[in-house]
Amino acid sequence: MSDADDSSGWRGRVTRVLDRLTSASARERLAISLSALVLSVAVGAVLIYGAGLATTCRRAAFLGSCYDPFVVYDQLFFRSFGNLLADPTNPKAATTLGEATILVCTGLSVAVAFKAGVFNIGTQGQLVVGALATAVVTYAVSQTLAGPLATVVSLPVGVLTGAVTGGLYGAIPGALKAYADANEVITTIMLNFVATNLALFAVQAAFKDPESVATQTRRLPAFAQFPRVVFPETADFSIVALALAVTLAVAAAYLLAATAFGYDVRTSGLQSAAAEYGGVDAKRTTVAAMTLSGALGGVGGAIYVLMKLGNFQTNVPAYGFDGITVTILAGNNPLGVLAAGLLFGVLKSGSINVSVATDVPPELVGVIRGLIVLFVAMPEFFRLIARRYTSDDSPGETAVTDGGRPTDDERPGSDDRPTDDGRSTDDTQGGTERPPDGDTGSDDGGVSP
Amino acid sequence: MVDAVRMEQITKRFPGVVANDDVTLSVERGSVHALLGENGAGKTTLMNVLYGLYRPTSGEVYVDSDGLSTSETGAVRDDPRSFDSPRDAIDAGIGMIHQHFMLVDTMSVAENVTLGDEPTKWGGLAVDRAAAREAVRDLSARYGLDVDPTATVADVSVGVRQRVEILKALYRGADVLILDEPTAVLTPQEVEELFAVFAELTAAGKTIVFITHKLGEAMGAADEVTVLRDGAHVGTVDADATTREELAELMVGRGVVLETETPPVERGDPTLSVSGLTVDDARGVRAVDGVDLTVHAGEILGVAGVDGNGQSELVEAITGLRTPEAGRVTLDGRDLSGVSRRERARAGMAYVPADRQERGLVMDFDLTGNGVLGSQHDRPFATGGRVDWRRAREHAADIVDEYDVRPPDPTATAASLSGGNQQKFVVGREVARDPSCLVAVHPTRGVDIGSTEFIHDRLIDLRGAGTAVLLISSKLDEVRELSDRLAVVHQGEVVSVVDPDLITEEQLGLLMAGERPTDVPTADRPSETAVADGGVADE
Repeated sequence: MSDADDSSGWRGRVTRVLDRLTSASARERLAISLSALVLSVAVGAVLIYGAGLATTCRRAAFLGSCYDPFVVYDQLFFRSFGNLLADPTNPKAATTLGEATILVCTGLSVAVAFKAGVFNIGTQGQLVVGALATAVVTYAVSQTLAGPLATVVSLPVGVLTGAVTGGLYGAIPGALKAYADANEVITTIMLNFVATNLALFAVQAAFKDPESVATQTRRLPAFAQFPRVVFPETADFSIVALALAVTLAVAAAYLLAATAFGYDVRTSGLQSAAAEYGGVDAKRTTVAAMTLSGALGGVGGAIYVLMKLGNFQTNVPAYGFDGITVTILAGNNPLGVLAAGLLFGVLKSGSINVSVATDVPPELVGVIRGLIVLFVAMPEFFRLIARRYTSDDSPGETAVTDGGRPTDDERPGSDDRPTDDGRSTDDTQGGTERPPDGDTGSDDGGVSP
Repeated sequence: MVDAVRMEQITKRFPGVVANDDVTLSVERGSVHALLGENGAGKTTLMNVLYGLYRPTSGEVYVDSDGLSTSETGAVRDDPRSFDSPRDAIDAGIGMIHQHFMLVDTMSVAENVTLGDEPTKWGGLAVDRAAAREAVRDLSARYGLDVDPTATVADVSVGVRQRVEILKALYRGADVLILDEPTAVLTPQEVEELFAVFAELTAAGKTIVFITHKLGEAMGAADEVTVLRDGAHVGTVDADATTREELAELMVGRGVVLETETPPVERGDPTLSVSGLTVDDARGVRAVDGVDLTVHAGEILGVAGVDGNGQSELVEAITGLRTPEAGRVTLDGRDLSGVSRRERARAGMAYVPADRQERGLVMDFDLTGNGVLGSQHDRPFATGGRVDWRRAREHAADIVDEYDVRPPDPTATAASLSGGNQQKFVVGREVARDPSCLVAVHPTRGVDIGSTEFIHDRLIDLRGAGTAVLLISSKLDEVRELSDRLAVVHQGEVVSVVDPDLITEEQLGLLMAGERPTDVPTADRPSETAVADGGVADE
């Protein structure tokens, strides 16, 4: 409905927008995301064009501007996969998928913690320690191995090392939060610094490759890295690693939706008092969720080392921080993380393509990328915030118009009268006056077998 | 005999639902008007229309705090009002006090009252706190609202907070005050005080409309009572000329048994016992001090007391949500003192918590998800760590069916249910555990008459089936009616365990206030004094 007959004024309008966001179904959210994407492209195109006008160049590329927005976006999005028809395993597609694989891991890491109501900003640090441990342990193990089965032993050891180390590193802020009431946002940020500098120190002091001038560990033998099935030997991507990431996403979705542990995690994330009432040990759940989150970040680190680099280098890209945006983009849905991770992979490798193919400075590409994330993530982000304030009581406009929480009675559409009396007739016209989507979206996962 | 408010033929439609159907309401200037109805009858919607939160689908609203002028035929001569927002309604002299207060806890009373409309000094550069305090002091003196303007809101009781809300409305020039279920959060004494405030306000020419579903309040505090049912106006009666039965019938649409029958049940062995329980609250202040209680199989032990005398800490210590400083909790002879909440539930302790929206239900989960809350790790819902959602859904459907929860849909979120239906679902889930003891706190708080009756019947059924029921409620009628014995608590101690059928309201009031009148009919037969069931705590 038009809502014209309800409270007006900017407060009412904001409220209605928030309500609509919280009650948007999965399909509506997809539509919102897509239109946000289009909008961000439009704004970005203007920006690129304007920047091109302000720059001097020998020959204008597009209507007097030095930069052609069409070329930029073509490179950013469509060239990220190279020419799939001619060569589906081309290096550009490999880079995109490789980035996506790692981002799926870090996105899952943040998502799992978020589900438990813990804001894990420390995925970056967990990824770093996981990556370093993987590089060191795998190197040691690989020295003792040879022969055709070496990969079968070495690879799982490497990935497990990453998972365990990342998990332990994630357990620290978890335990600090649970038993010492320390705010996880602060502890995880601090632990990120600790991880980065600890890794730098450890590599310099103990694990440095003596034959290299760079601060990096010894190179791993090829058999200890993710095998390059399908893709050429030179590609920095392995389909095995992608399969692992997809499996982890499915497993995380299953864990959250179908198991008693997942129920505990979701309950404590949504309503800790109810979780306590339901016999959930809040402290243990916090530590467990943070351990799991850290382990997923650690696996991301392991894949980074075993697929992309072949050793550990101290300048680790901000995969962990990107993971936060990935999961917000995905509405905290583990399966949605797959799609959001892919979009990020596209943007990351696309930026490289733009820099190579055009004169657009990398800073501007960064801005363009940021715009896309901003536009696409904002509705989801507002949704998360809005849910926090309206979820416990918003059948729509009652909720916050006056800051007023509605009373127990008069929930339109859910009262003591039969509700299947044509409720659906008007419903399609807009979600504002419906109860919030508990399970319409997939992020509650919950209740379908 | 002039009206301050007239709402004519108000219809408010929500998608698929008519919340108000052609409702007409006239409120006389300087009177107290009660809006009575069951949960979901459309009371709050109607008041939200008056307050400008909703625009009516059709119908007219007339407001004039000095009284509407009418022609001989009774038609209103004033122009109808159209409120786009509460701002407009406030400008027209309407104030609304919501059930959940909107106060800033860390600010003082005076700051809260004047918030957004502060007196200023230095040409508007600074808030004139002294003037704000003075204004609040003036208002409270004029209307008999005893409030200290300098107190911090976080430190004052619920009753005082409500007065602050009333002051807030008065400060903004409200002449018509709307109160949404104002007594739901108050102790009996505070209710009395609130009604005294009503009298002061109306004497000063203010007009009051309050929403309630309690018959006694409507009759006691109001001059006129308008009853809504299913969104429609079913009658307006003079409060002095009506009876509880008439009102109940108007409200529910059928005759209602107001007194619950409690058939005698042979009382069994001690099931739940608590000895020497001592609990500190979150601030480290002693909240429960050496309480001994025993609930037998087939018995309802009521706990009466003014809210905040240690009841919630007592319950949390019994159910395993709070670690006591000392004392033991045993169930069926098994010592549960150091045992987790989950283990206690497994041992047969069911628990209807005081706050269904905070604790009892996960608001974003659907009913299927809520139906397994507390048994998500146990058979038959979980095997090998995996939740059997099909069985869970059947379970939820069974509860919904048996307890007449509406909408009857296991996939509806808890948040989408009305309060009464949420409560029925929680009670249904806990009873379905087939517990050996049930701890029920405010089991009918905010629940309409029909559902209250139903929940009471279930509690009595449980008692008949040999379950030990510990009933904590701030409704005195409820505990007196249902309980076999009644433990009165004051400042964390059990003052006395009395026979609810023999004790007078006056004696009960004295006990609850911490006095110890003699000749109170205690419930303990001599043979039972051996069982440590909370005789008078030692001096």
